[in-house]
Amino acid sequence: MGLRSYILKRLAYSFVLVLLIIVLNFVIFKMMPGDPVIFMTRPFQGKLSPEEITAQQDLLRELWGIGAPLHVQLAKYMRNLLSWQFGTSIVGKTPISELMARRIPYTMLLIGSGTVFSIILGVILGVAVIQRRGTIMDSASVTTSLVLGSLPTFWLGLVFLLIFYSTLRWFPNAGAFPRSWALGWPVAWSSVSQSSPNALSIVFSFDIGQAWTLVGGYIFHLFLPVLTLTVFLFGGWLLLTRATMLDTVAEDYIVTARAKGLTERSVLYGHALKNAALPLITSAAISFGFMFSGAIITETVFTYPGLGGWIWESIRTLDYQVLMSVFYVISLCVVLANIVADILYGIIDPRIKYG
Amino acid sequence: MIRLVKRQSKLVFTLGRFMGFLKLLLHNGKSVGGLTIIAIFCVLALAPGWFTPYDSLGQNPAELGFPLAGGSAAPVWLRHMPTWLGGKPELSENMMVCQNPGCPKLVRDGGELNFTVDGSGLVINESDVDYPYTQALGFLKLAEPGSLNVTFSRGSGTFYNGSKVVIFKEFEFPYLGAPSRFYGNIELYVKGTVDAWGKLDVPVKVTVFLGLVGGKMWRLWPPPHNPAEDSRVPMGFTKDLLTGQPGPIEKPEYGSLVYDNVSKSWVNQHWITPVQTTISRIDSESNSVSNSKSDFGAPPNRPVTMVFTSLPDRYVYGVEMIFIDQKDSGKPVSTSVFIDDFGLLFFGTSWGIMGSDHHGQDLFAQLVYGTRVSLYLGVMVSVLSVAIGLIVGLSAGYLGRVVDELLMRFTDLLLVLPGLPLLIVLVAVLGATIDNLIILLGFLGWMSFARMVRSQVLSVKERPFVEAAKAVGAGKLHVIITHVLPSVMPLVYISLALSVPGAITAEASLAWLGFYDPFRMTWGRMLNMFFEANATTNWWWVLPPGLCIAAIAAAFVLLGYALDEVLNPKLRQRR
Repeated sequence: MGLRSYILKRLAYSFVLVLLIIVLNFVIFKMMPGDPVIFMTRPFQGKLSPEEITAQQDLLRELWGIGAPLHVQLAKYMRNLLSWQFGTSIVGKTPISELMARRIPYTMLLIGSGTVFSIILGVILGVAVIQRRGTIMDSASVTTSLVLGSLPTFWLGLVFLLIFYSTLRWFPNAGAFPRSWALGWPVAWSSVSQSSPNALSIVFSFDIGQAWTLVGGYIFHLFLPVLTLTVFLFGGWLLLTRATMLDTVAEDYIVTARAKGLTERSVLYGHALKNAALPLITSAAISFGFMFSGAIITETVFTYPGLGGWIWESIRTLDYQVLMSVFYVISLCVVLANIVADILYGIIDPRIKYG
Repeated sequence: MIRLVKRQSKLVFTLGRFMGFLKLLLHNGKSVGGLTIIAIFCVLALAPGWFTPYDSLGQNPAELGFPLAGGSAAPVWLRHMPTWLGGKPELSENMMVCQNPGCPKLVRDGGELNFTVDGSGLVINESDVDYPYTQALGFLKLAEPGSLNVTFSRGSGTFYNGSKVVIFKEFEFPYLGAPSRFYGNIELYVKGTVDAWGKLDVPVKVTVFLGLVGGKMWRLWPPPHNPAEDSRVPMGFTKDLLTGQPGPIEKPEYGSLVYDNVSKSWVNQHWITPVQTTISRIDSESNSVSNSKSDFGAPPNRPVTMVFTSLPDRYVYGVEMIFIDQKDSGKPVSTSVFIDDFGLLFFGTSWGIMGSDHHGQDLFAQLVYGTRVSLYLGVMVSVLSVAIGLIVGLSAGYLGRVVDELLMRFTDLLLVLPGLPLLIVLVAVLGATIDNLIILLGFLGWMSFARMVRSQVLSVKERPFVEAAKAVGAGKLHVIITHVLPSVMPLVYISLALSVPGAITAEASLAWLGFYDPFRMTWGRMLNMFFEANATTNWWWVLPPGLCIAAIAAAFVLLGYALDEVLNPKLRQRR
C-alpha cells in the first residue's frame, strides 16, 4: 500500500471517529435531565387549559425540531456540527461559532508556546541526563519529572501566582493583554492613503516602539501560563527523550561515531538524538491535541480568554451548549493531531509498512 | 482426607509465596517509602476525629454555620515566628472578654464585672431569673442560671432624672493587631410600674459600648439605623460608630430599638415596653445587630480597626443604663432591668494549625477530611478501571477475531477523546456526586491497561501449557481463569497502584473547576475556595492541599514501580 492510500485510509477512519464523537455529543445531550418544553410551558400552568398547553408544547417541539424521530434529529445535529453551526450562547445571545473564533487564537498561542518550550527544555535536559546516566543527577531529574508531572496543573499555577503576582508583583494575574489597552490599542503600523488627481499615494508607517509594546504586552501576560504548562509538561519529554536515547546510545554506530573522534556533543545531538527523534516527533503531534486538557485548567487559573477560560465561564452559567461545542472542537483538534502524527510517521520513517 | 491435606499444603504454599513477596516488597526502598505515606494518609482518612474536633467543612459540629475565627485567618504559629522568616507578630487570636457571660456577676459578688453608679435610687442585685438562650451562640453554651438586676425606684414626688448605672469589664487586649471581627451579645428584660397609657413610668435607655480605657467609647447597641431594612426605625440612630461618624456615647438619645420576636423586625418602641425581652447580637461585620445566622459578609471596611486604635492596651466593654425619670405619676415608681448573657468574643486574625478559610472555618479539618475523599475515590476508580480493562483485555486477547476488532476499535475511540473536556461535559450533565465521579473516571480510565492485558494475553495464548489445557478439553472460561489470568496478575497489581494518582488529580481538577459535592470537602475544593476567596497571599491555604495531592500521587507511583521491580524479576536484574 502506498503512502497516498495510507493517508486516505487514515482520513476515512478519522472521519468515522468525528461522526462517532458527534453521536456521543448527541447522546449526552439526550441524557440531560428535564424536558425543556415542559419547562418552557410551566408558566402557563393553570392559566391555560391542559389542551392548550399540550398544543403549545407540540408547537414548541415542532419549532425546535425535537418532535422529530431520533435519527432525523441526529442527522440534523451532525449536519449542523459539521457545518460549524453550534447555536447561540445563552450568555450574550451571540452565535457560539463567532465567540469561538475570537477565543481559539489565544488558546493556540498558549498551547503552541507551551508545547514548544516544554519540548525544547525536555529534550535538552533529557540529552544532558543521558550524558550523566547513573549519577545522582540522573535519578534526581527522573524523580523530579515524575513528581512535577503528577502535580495538579492548577495548583502549580496558583503557586506561581502566589510567587510572581502576589508576592513579587512581577507578572499580571489575568487576561491576555494589559487592561489599559481597552482604551487605546497600540498601533504598530498604519497606512495613510492620499488620492490626488495625478496619483494615489499610500504611505505605510511602522512604529517600532508601539510594536514592542504590542508584542511585549502579550508576552508579559503569556509568561505565567506558559511557565505553568512548561513546568508541568517538560518532565514527560525528559523521560521520553531519556528512554529513547538509552536505546540508541547503545547502538554500534554511536560507538563508530565516537571512534571517529567526534565530540561528545556532536555524537549525542548529531547521531543519537537524530535517530531517537522519531517517537519524539510523533508524540509531539499527538500531545498538541491533548494539551487542550492542560490548557483548560491553566487558562482558568490565569483567566486567559481562550477556550479553557470559556469552559469555566460556561460551567458557572450552566451554558451546556458552549460546553458541548468546546468539547467537540477540542475532540476535532485531537483527531486532527492524530492524523498529523500518523502522516508524519509515514513520511519520516522509511521502515514503516503502510497498513 | 487427601483432599484436605492437599488443600492445606496449597494454603501453606500460597502463604509462603505471599510472605516471600512481602519480604521482597519490604526490602525495596521505594515500596517502603510509598507504603509509609499511604499508611499515614489512611490513618488520616479512617480516623479524622483523632486529629481535629471539627467536621469536614471545618465547622464546629455543635454550632454549624458559625465561624471559628475571623475570615482568612493565618495559622497561629506564624505569630511566634521571627519576621525575617515570614512571621507575623501583629496577628491576634480568639479572645473571650467575659469569662462567664451566662451568669453576669459583679466583682463584689465574686464575679468579673465592675460598676459605677451616678445618681440616686439605684440598687444592683444578683437575680435568680434566667433568660436561657434560644439561638445558640457558641461561647454562651456554658450559660449558667442567673442574671444581673438593676432596679431604679423612688417614692412619689422626688425626681432623680438621669440616674445612670454602668456595668463594665475592663480587659487587657494583649495582641499587636486588631481582631478580625467581634461578636457580642446582651439579653435585656425590662419591667416596672406603668402609667395610664401602659408605658413605663421611668423608661430606660440602654447602650452597649466598647472602647479604649480613657479613650473614645463606641456604641455597639442599639444598632445603627438602616432605612433599607426597616422604614419604621426613626432617624437619629444613623450616626452610629460602626458605620458612620464616631460620637461620644454620652450623647442623650431617648429611645431604644427593640427587636420584636413576633414580627421579626426592629420596632421603634421609643420607650422600652413595660415587660419586654430583647436578645441582641452584636456583629462587627454587619451593619445592624444581627439576629440571623446568615448575616455574615465581608464589610467594605473593617469597623474593628476603628475601635482598636492603640495596641496592646486596656479596653472596656460595658452596658450603660440611664433612667429617664421625668413623668409625675403621683405614686412610687420603679423600673427593673435584668441583664443576661452579656458577652463579647473577638475573632482573631490567626487560628489553628493552618488558619481558616474566608468563612472563618478550620482549614486543617478540611485538609484531614479531604484525605478521605481522595483515597476512597482513587482506590475505587483504580479498582473499577482495572476490572473493566481486565475484562476487555482478556476477552479481546483470548477470543480474538470479531470481538477483538470491535473492542479494540472502541478502545481506540475512547483513547482519542480528550479526557478532561469529556469529563467536564458529563459531570455538568450528570451532577458531581462522588459516585458519579467514580463511575465516570473508572469508565474513562481503562483503555491503556486493556491494551497491555491484550498484548500479554496474545503472547500467553500460544504457549504450550495453554495448548495442553485446550487439548485436554478445558473450556474457554477455565483456560482464561486458571492459565491466562495468573500471567496477567502482575500487570493488574502494578496498574492498580499506578492508576490511583491520575484519578486523584482528575477529581481535584474537576473540584477546582467547581464540580464538587457540596457536602464533602476535598483538596481540589479547598483550592477552588482559595481561588474564589481571592486570598492570593495566604500560602498556608494553597500549599498543603497541593502538597498532599503530590505526596499521595508520588506514593502510589513509587509503590507501582516497586511492584514492577518485584513482580518482574528480569527487570530487577537489569536495574
